[in-house]
Amino acid sequence: MTAFITSTGRFLPGPAIGVDEVEDVLGLVEGKPSRLKRRILKSNGIQTRHYAIDRTGRTTHSNTDMGVAAAEICLEGSPLEPADIGMLACATSQGDLPLPGFGSMVQGRLGIPSVELLSAHGICSAGTMALKAAYNTLRLGDQDTALVVSSELSSRMLKHTRYEAAGGHEQMDFQTEFLRWMLSDGAGAMLLESKPRGRCLQIDWMRSFSHADAFPVCMQIGSPVNREDSRTWQDFPTYGEAEKAGALLIRQDLRLLENIVKLGVDGALRLIEEGTLDIQEIDHFLCHYSSHHFKGKVYDMLEMAGALIPEDKWYTNLYTRGNTGCASIFIMLDEFLRDGRAAIGDTILCMVPESGRFNTAYMHLTLVEA
Amino acid sequence: MTQTAALERPDVLTPLGQETLRRLMRSWFDFERRLGKVPILRRLDNGTFTREDHLALLRNLRPQVVEGARWIARCASSFDRNHADVRSLVIGHAQDEHRDYEVLERDYVALGGELSDIQSRPRNIGTEALHGYLMHRASQPNPVDLLGAMWIIEGIGDKMANNWADRIEELSKCGAEATRFIRYHGENDDSHLDKLYGMLDRTATTPERADAIVKTSKVVARLYALQLEEIDHV
Repeated sequence: MTAFITSTGRFLPGPAIGVDEVEDVLGLVEGKPSRLKRRILKSNGIQTRHYAIDRTGRTTHSNTDMGVAAAEICLEGSPLEPADIGMLACATSQGDLPLPGFGSMVQGRLGIPSVELLSAHGICSAGTMALKAAYNTLRLGDQDTALVVSSELSSRMLKHTRYEAAGGHEQMDFQTEFLRWMLSDGAGAMLLESKPRGRCLQIDWMRSFSHADAFPVCMQIGSPVNREDSRTWQDFPTYGEAEKAGALLIRQDLRLLENIVKLGVDGALRLIEEGTLDIQEIDHFLCHYSSHHFKGKVYDMLEMAGALIPEDKWYTNLYTRGNTGCASIFIMLDEFLRDGRAAIGDTILCMVPESGRFNTAYMHLTLVEA
Repeated sequence: MTQTAALERPDVLTPLGQETLRRLMRSWFDFERRLGKVPILRRLDNGTFTREDHLALLRNLRPQVVEGARWIARCASSFDRNHADVRSLVIGHAQDEHRDYEVLERDYVALGGELSDIQSRPRNIGTEALHGYLMHRASQPNPVDLLGAMWIIEGIGDKMANNWADRIEELSKCGAEATRFIRYHGENDDSHLDKLYGMLDRTATTPERADAIVKTSKVVARLYALQLEEIDHV
C-alpha cells in the first residue's frame, strides 16, 4: 500500500520583502539598526521573504489564516470537497493558541466534519512528521484521503519589541539575533489519496532520524539567556519575568549548527547502506539547505564516495520564499511542481533537516500519471 | 636502490572503495554522536568545562599519544614487500607523530600542571583496552584493517583542532600556549585526505578486507570513547 500526493498549495502573506526592507518590518531595536544584520543576511543568501505582520507590527494574517489559505488553494486543484477529507494533519512550531492543537483551529475554519485529527509539534521537521502520519494512515487503510497543512508565523517573535523587553541591544548577541534575519512566514498544504489521480506524486518512502540523545538543544525558545539559570519559561512567577530574562526569545546555538550537515549526510548514507536510497536514480533533490552549506571536506568525501547528488539536480526556492520552517518543504514542492520541472517517471528526494535538537527527515517521491 | 612507491589520490575510487568510504563516514558520525554523550565532552557543549577538565583531558590523552607511535611503527613493520607502498606511508606517519606527546606535556605545564604528575600517570582502563587492541592488530601480517584505526584517530585530531580548541580556551580560560597539542592536528587536512583515498583503493581490495577496515574503525571508535569516559580511572 502506498499513498499519492494529488494536489498541493502554498500561501505566502503580503508582498515580497527585500533584504533592505527586513528591518523596516521587524523594527529597529531601541531605535538603532542592527550591526549583525548585514553579515547574517549575506551569508544566508535570502533575497526576498514574506511576513504576516505589517510595518507597525500588527498581524495581518494569523497562523491559522495562512494554513487555511494554503489548504483552500490545495483543494482548488482537486475535485474533492472539505467534507471528503478523512484525516487532517497539521504542523507548526507555534500555533496562534498554545492550546488547543493547531489542527483544531485549522479544522474549525475549513469546516471539515468528523475528521481524524493530528497536530504535530516541533520545528522544521514537524511538517514531515504530520505528512508521515497521514501517509501511514492511508497505507493502513484507515482513511482514503488526508489533508496535510504546515504553517509558520515566526515574525511575531522577531518584532523589535520582543528584544527590547529582554534588555535590548545590550543583551543581544549573535545567537539571539541569528534567527531574526533567517526566518519568515508562510504555509503549504498537500492532499493525499490512497489512489492516484491525474498527474500526482507517489510517496515511495519516508524516513527520519532524530539525534536528541547525543546533542544538546541547538535552536529553542524557553530557556533564559543566562545558561546557569535552569528554569524554563513557565517556571518564572510571571510571563513578564520570563520575557525579561530572554526566555521567550528564539535563539540558535551556532557552534552546534554545523552538525546539521553531518547528520544529514549520515542519514543519507544509512539509507544507501540499507538499500533504500540509490543516489544515481535521483532526478531532483529538494532541500531547504542550499548546496553551499555542504561544501568543504564532507562534500569532497561524498564526491569520492559516489554519494553526491550533482548540483544541477538541486532545487530550492529558499532565496525567494525565505526559510519558513516546517512549511518550507511544502512551499518548495508546490512551486517545483507548478513550474513543471518534473516529467512523468522522475524521482524526487526531499530532505528536511531540523536543527532544534537534530532531526533529519527524508522523503522519496515519483511523479506518476493515473 | 629501491624506489618508494607513492599512493596518489585517485580521480575516482573503485566501487568497493566508495562503499567502504561511505561505511567509514557512517562509523565516524556514529563515533561523534557517542562522543557527544561522554561526560567530559558534554561539559564542553554545555559550557561547564573547567581548567581541571582540561588538565584531566591532557593527562588521560598522553599515554595513548605516547603509545600511538609504537603501534604505528609496529604496523609498518608488519607489512610485507608486496605492500611496500603502504609501509612507506605508515612509516612517514609514525615519523610525523612519534614525539607529539612532548607538545602535550608542555601544554600541561603551561596550564599549571606538574610535569611529573602527567609523566607518572598510568594508562586509564580505556587506554589500556585501546592500546592492547591496536598492538594486537598491528602485529598481524599486512594489517590493512588499521586504515580504519587511522581514520578514527586522524579524525579525532581534526575534531580537536576544529571543534574543541577554541571552546577549551574559552572555558578553561587559558591561552594558545595550553592548546598547542589540541590545535596541531588541524593542519594539512587536505594532504591527509588525499593519502587516505589512495590508501583506501590500495587496501579495500576485497569485500573481506573492506569489512575488516570498517570493523576496526568501529572497535577503535568504541575504545577511544571508552578512554574518554574513564577519565583518571586507572
